[in-house]
Amino acid sequence: MSEPIITFKNVSKTYILYKNDQARFKALFIKPKNPKTNKALNNVSFEIYRGESVGIVGDNGAGKSTLLKMITGVAFPDEGDIIVDGKVAALLELTAGFSLEMTGRENIYLKGYILGLEDDYIKEIEENIIEFAQLGDYIDQPVRTYSSGMKMRLGFAINVNIEPDVLVVDEALAVGDASFKRKCKDKIKEIMTNGTTVLYVSHSADSVREICPRSIYLRKGTVIFDGPTDETLKVYQDYKESQKAKKKK
Amino acid sequence: MFTSIFQEHRGFGKQIFLLAKNELIKTYKGAVIGPLWSVVKPAFTIFVYWFAFSVGIKALKAVKVHLNGMEHAAFSIDFFTFMFIGIVPWFFIQDQIVQGAKTLRNNRQFITKVKFPVSTILTYTGLSRLFVHIFLVAIMYVYVLFRIGPSWYNLQFFLYCPLMFIFFLALSWSTAPMSAFSKDFESLIVSVMSGVFWLSGIMYDSYSFTGGLKIAMLLNPINFFANGYRNCFLYHRAFFTYKTELVIFLVEFLAVFFLGIFNYNRLRKKLPDVL
Repeated sequence: MSEPIITFKNVSKTYILYKNDQARFKALFIKPKNPKTNKALNNVSFEIYRGESVGIVGDNGAGKSTLLKMITGVAFPDEGDIIVDGKVAALLELTAGFSLEMTGRENIYLKGYILGLEDDYIKEIEENIIEFAQLGDYIDQPVRTYSSGMKMRLGFAINVNIEPDVLVVDEALAVGDASFKRKCKDKIKEIMTNGTTVLYVSHSADSVREICPRSIYLRKGTVIFDGPTDETLKVYQDYKESQKAKKKK
Repeated sequence: MFTSIFQEHRGFGKQIFLLAKNELIKTYKGAVIGPLWSVVKPAFTIFVYWFAFSVGIKALKAVKVHLNGMEHAAFSIDFFTFMFIGIVPWFFIQDQIVQGAKTLRNNRQFITKVKFPVSTILTYTGLSRLFVHIFLVAIMYVYVLFRIGPSWYNLQFFLYCPLMFIFFLALSWSTAPMSAFSKDFESLIVSVMSGVFWLSGIMYDSYSFTGGLKIAMLLNPINFFANGYRNCFLYHRAFFTYKTELVIFLVEFLAVFFLGIFNYNRLRKKLPDVL
C-alpha cells in the first residue's frame, strides 16, 4: 500500500433547499439568509489506497451518491479537499452523457478526450471497446438510433476499457441480458485483479462481503464506521435492528 | 480567476468543432429541405418587415418613421438594402442571446450525469449558430455585390464577426448559468429580447437621433454590430470612424467579458445541484 489514490479531507456538502422559485431568483444576486439546508456530507475524511476495493454502505439518503458524484468529478464540495489521483471510470449513468447525433465511434473519442486521453491511446483501445460492446456495424451509426441496451453496453465498454485507476460501481446497475451481465461481472473481477481501485456501492451485505475487504458505513452524511467489511456490516446491521426495535415500541 | 473557462477548452478544440457540427445536424435533421430552413425563416422575416415598412406603413402615410435617416449618408440607398444588412447580424444576436441562455438547461445531461467541460457546451452551440450566420452572410454578400459592389471595407467583416461571436459568447457565460439556476431569469431574458429588436437600430438608423437619445443608442451593443455590418457593406466606413461608439463598446466588451468569467466561476460548482 503506497500512497492514497483518493483522499477526502474534512469534506462537507450542503444542499440549499429554496423555499420557492422566488427565493431561487433572489439567491442569484443576494446570499439567502438562513435558508433551509440539507447536509448531504458532514466532515467526511478517509483515504483509499491504490489497488484497494472498498464498499460503501448506508441507507437511502446517507450521502452515497453525493460521495460518488464527487469522486467522479460531477459534483463539488462546499468545504474540504478531494484529491483523486488518476483516471476515474464510473459505472453509474451509463446511458447518459452521449452526444446523440454522433456515432458510437465518435462518442468513444469524446469520452476519451474528456478523460484527457490522447488520440493514439484511444485508437489502441477503440477495437476492444467495439468488440466488447457487441455493436457490430452500429458503431458507425448515430447513438440516437441505439436501443437503451446498446447505449448501456457502449457506456460500459468504454468505461471498463480505458484502463481506469479507479472504478466506481453501483450495484443497482442493470446491463442488458443475462449473458452480457455475466460478461460484465467477469470484466469487473478482471479489472480488480489487475490492481485497479474499486469503489462499490450496494444495499446488499452479501455482495459487498464478496467483493470488498474494507467498507465505509455512511449515515446521514457522516462516516460512522470505516474498517474491515465484517465489522462495518455488523455495525450497520446492529443499527438497523435497533431502529426496528424502536419502531416496535 | 481565468482558469476554469480556458482550462476547460484546452485540448478540446477538435471536439468543439465536431460537437458544433452535430448540433447543426440535430437542429435540421428530419426536415425535407434540412439546412435550407436556416435561410427560409430569416427570409420570411425579412419579407414581412419589408412589406410592413415599405408597403404597409407607407400606405398609412400618417407614420413617417426614421426610415429616411439615411439621407445624410454619402449616397442614398433603398430601405430594403439598409434593413437587410442590419438584420443579418440581428438574427445571430437574437438567437445567441435567447438560445445561449437556455443552453445549459437544455444540455443538463452533460452537467448532472457525467464529468464534462461545461463551458465548452456554450462554445460549440454558439459555434453552430455562427455557421448558420456565416451562411446567411454569404447569401447577403451576393446581394451586396450586385446592389452595391465590392469594397475593401468589406474585409472588416472579419473583425466584426469574430468580435460579435466572442461578445455574445461571453454574455452567455453569465446568462446561461443564471438561467440554469432560475427559470425566472431565463423567462426574463426571453421577454426582454422580444422588445429589444425595436429598441435597436435594425429597422432605423441609430445615428439619426440627437441629444440623450443618441447617447442611449450608443450604449446598446447591438447597434454597434448592426452599424458595423453597415460600415462594411453599405457605408464603406472604417470601424474607427466613430470613436465614441468604439470606446463605449470596448468598455462594455471588457465588462461583459470579466463579468462572464466571474459569474461562471461563481455558479459553475452549484450547477450540478440545481439542474
